[in-house]
Amino acid sequence: MKTSFRKRIKNAIADPVLQQALDNNADRRRSAQFTALESLGDSQYLKDNARRIRKEVIGDLYNHLKTFKDQAKRNGLVVYEAADAEEACSIVTQIARNHKASLVAKSKSMVSEEIQLNQALEKTGLRVVETDLGEYIIQLRGEHPTHIITPAIHLLKEQVAQTFHEELGAPYSSDVSDMTLIARQKLREVFLEADIGISGVNFGVVETGTLCLVTNEGNGRMVTTLPPVHVALMGIERLVPTLEDLALMLKLLPRSATGQKLTAYTSLIQGAQQATDPDGAMERHLILIDNGRSNLHSSSLQESLLCIRCGACLNACPVFREVGGHAYQSVYPGPIGSVISAGLISIEEYGYLAKASTLCAACRDACPVSIDFPTLLLRVRDETVRTTGTVWGMSVAMRIFSWLVRSPARFSFAQRMAAFGSKFLPKEDGWIDKLPTPLSAWTDSRRFPAFKSRPFRDRISDLDLQPISTTSAVDSKIKVPQSIQPTAMKNYVDQFQDELESLGGSFRICSKHEIAGVVFDTIQELGQDRILSWNPTEPLFDELLASLSSQGLEVVYPSLPSSEGHRGAPLAEFGSFNVGLTGANAGLADTGTIILESGEGRSQLASLLPLHHLAILPIERIYPDLESWLADGGEMIVANTSQLNFITGPSRTADIEMTLTIGVHGPGSVLVIGVEQSH
Amino acid sequence: MDQTCCGQPAMNAGYWDEARRMAKHTIEVFEQCPDPIVIPSGSCAGMIRQGYLELFRNDPEWLARADAIAKRTFEFSEFLVDELAYHPNPNQHQCKFVYHPSCHLTRGLGVDRQPKELFLASASVPAQILETECCGFGGVFAIDQPELSSEMLKRTIKRLVDPSADVVVGCDVSCLMHIEGGLRKCGSEIRCAHLAQLLAGQKMGLR
Repeated sequence: MKTSFRKRIKNAIADPVLQQALDNNADRRRSAQFTALESLGDSQYLKDNARRIRKEVIGDLYNHLKTFKDQAKRNGLVVYEAADAEEACSIVTQIARNHKASLVAKSKSMVSEEIQLNQALEKTGLRVVETDLGEYIIQLRGEHPTHIITPAIHLLKEQVAQTFHEELGAPYSSDVSDMTLIARQKLREVFLEADIGISGVNFGVVETGTLCLVTNEGNGRMVTTLPPVHVALMGIERLVPTLEDLALMLKLLPRSATGQKLTAYTSLIQGAQQATDPDGAMERHLILIDNGRSNLHSSSLQESLLCIRCGACLNACPVFREVGGHAYQSVYPGPIGSVISAGLISIEEYGYLAKASTLCAACRDACPVSIDFPTLLLRVRDETVRTTGTVWGMSVAMRIFSWLVRSPARFSFAQRMAAFGSKFLPKEDGWIDKLPTPLSAWTDSRRFPAFKSRPFRDRISDLDLQPISTTSAVDSKIKVPQSIQPTAMKNYVDQFQDELESLGGSFRICSKHEIAGVVFDTIQELGQDRILSWNPTEPLFDELLASLSSQGLEVVYPSLPSSEGHRGAPLAEFGSFNVGLTGANAGLADTGTIILESGEGRSQLASLLPLHHLAILPIERIYPDLESWLADGGEMIVANTSQLNFITGPSRTADIEMTLTIGVHGPGSVLVIGVEQSH
Repeated sequence: MDQTCCGQPAMNAGYWDEARRMAKHTIEVFEQCPDPIVIPSGSCAGMIRQGYLELFRNDPEWLARADAIAKRTFEFSEFLVDELAYHPNPNQHQCKFVYHPSCHLTRGLGVDRQPKELFLASASVPAQILETECCGFGGVFAIDQPELSSEMLKRTIKRLVDPSADVVVGCDVSCLMHIEGGLRKCGSEIRCAHLAQLLAGQKMGLR
């Protein structure tokens, strides 16, 4: 038997380092989510919509799943279905064996934790490296994530520094930037050498078969682009019907998870590298994992499948705040964990977790799809009592209590007996200081008011009660939804610039004729004489590249073999460049995002490997938001592009003590050059 | 007066069969009288308005009976403001009142505006409204998870002591009992009072 839950709670409360780390996390997370949601205007309206969409998908899950699967197959993905953890692991193992793989680079995926994939792969002799900074830290420490979004939030930076010193031989430094740089260097080697990249999936889009993946550090892009083989793991419930629905989810997920308007990188993956694509994974496998989700679906806990794994309920939970994630001893901690651990794995093993809640509903309020956690937690408690019986030792007490309650005479008698008993207990000013066991659990930290010798139910008849006139008892509690507040009609270009700059990116505008000079000067200022670049067949780029070359710059157009072959050598070469130059299909004003499509002459490496990313964006391609871009031809682009990357500022992490650090795996600086076509 | 307990402790502890038996008793008692049912406790009101519907969700007959009761059940402050349009007189006590919005009332029932209106109209200046944050009571949770409950209570007390309050006003007696019990245990002079005590100008403190 594991250490008892109560013991684990006690240990967590008594751990001063953990308490400090948790205190640092809690308030900042919650206020970040609050501020980010405020920027949406009527966020409740959007949350209600998101809930409706998710409910619709989960209600008709298997039809949606079938359509999604068929579409993904048409897109060229190799699709598998795994009933349980064992089957999922053996599929991945088989893929690795087929490719004679030895090194696997993984981006963060909770479903992979759930199926214990690392252990299964390591058993076959594979080396598996977690590449999310937080996950990397806990992998080095041999721990499990404590939070589904920020896995290492229980650690102080000094502990991380010690781990890096001991495990990586790095000189001890508790400076977060130093540590991030060490991780960047160590993990860059892994990205370049990996045979297989494994990722999770944040959303699958039913109508298009698109996989959506959000990361901040850039590791998600690395593992889905650099290794020749990409394996995506996805719980069967992570579906949204349309791209428009996805756009809504992308408004809520990052805001709820980290307080961002959009994560630094949002990738829409449609298929493997095409003949015209200079890079991208050659093979993409999608494993749809059930592992208990169908059980949840047919149970009274079905609503928990609405979850989009943002972790907001953990941040809002007053219990999680006291004990952190490890005390739950489940892959999924916090309110959502207390429901789905019981539902996905077993009620016998995890039903007790639901006891650790006051049903305060802070989680439900924080949830972007308003999952009714209090009701679900109560259902888990009900189910736990029915399946595991009298484990709580409360059964007899409840039966007696119920017997007393069902007769006013018995109830009244019991109240008087309690009052009589109160007389013999030590009191201070009428409050009992010490109750006998098991009620001493109350008086250890609180006094208890002594029972009155005449209970209220008897005294009420003494009161001089006047009848009151009542208005009709109407059922008028329905809340009227407010209409969406109109977005301030700010100039979209200005808004784009404000948002990008607030993230640490830069923006400047020039005319078509000035562009070559601006780009050349920028590269000079960075002290570089060679760049990785796009070379799409567009007049603007043709002229620009010709001009740069004529001024003595070395311009390289990266590409990777689209057939079997080791990518290590070319990748190492491309990885040595410090500047990448790309175009952009569009900009999104509300988040400061640029959208980069893959395709002929449009290397994904140019915006990923170098430290500095320059992007050329025609300013008339700046849209107010993702929805308006999708509606104006964006949907077609998604459908016809192997991979689209939405880039929102530089690569970033806050995995160590929530300290924001720029340039983890992707570029540390992003300069967008807005081109006025008409000039 | 055959009313006893609504059965919430049993439901919260997971003993739903017992909770249903208690709920049926309560429903039968209330069916004897057609008037609005006004409950001076957010969580008890929530039990009858929402909990019963959950308990009987697979029992059409009792679900209908529970629903009929739920429709004429009101929490105290909600009833005063929404149904009676009641305006309180200012309370004569010269002390610093703070209002603690309890979770089941605020988030569970969605009754937020009404008690705050009554509180602000009645409490002497400077009155303060706290954020909705769980005090750590949680019914059986307080006994079943005493360590967690006590840590959360400590946090609540900290919010009351700094800046110092004199009286904590709320609409859930059990939360207030938990908070005042904690305050008394650590020797604090701060006392709790139900909103009704404030409105009636009674002596403060839970006695």
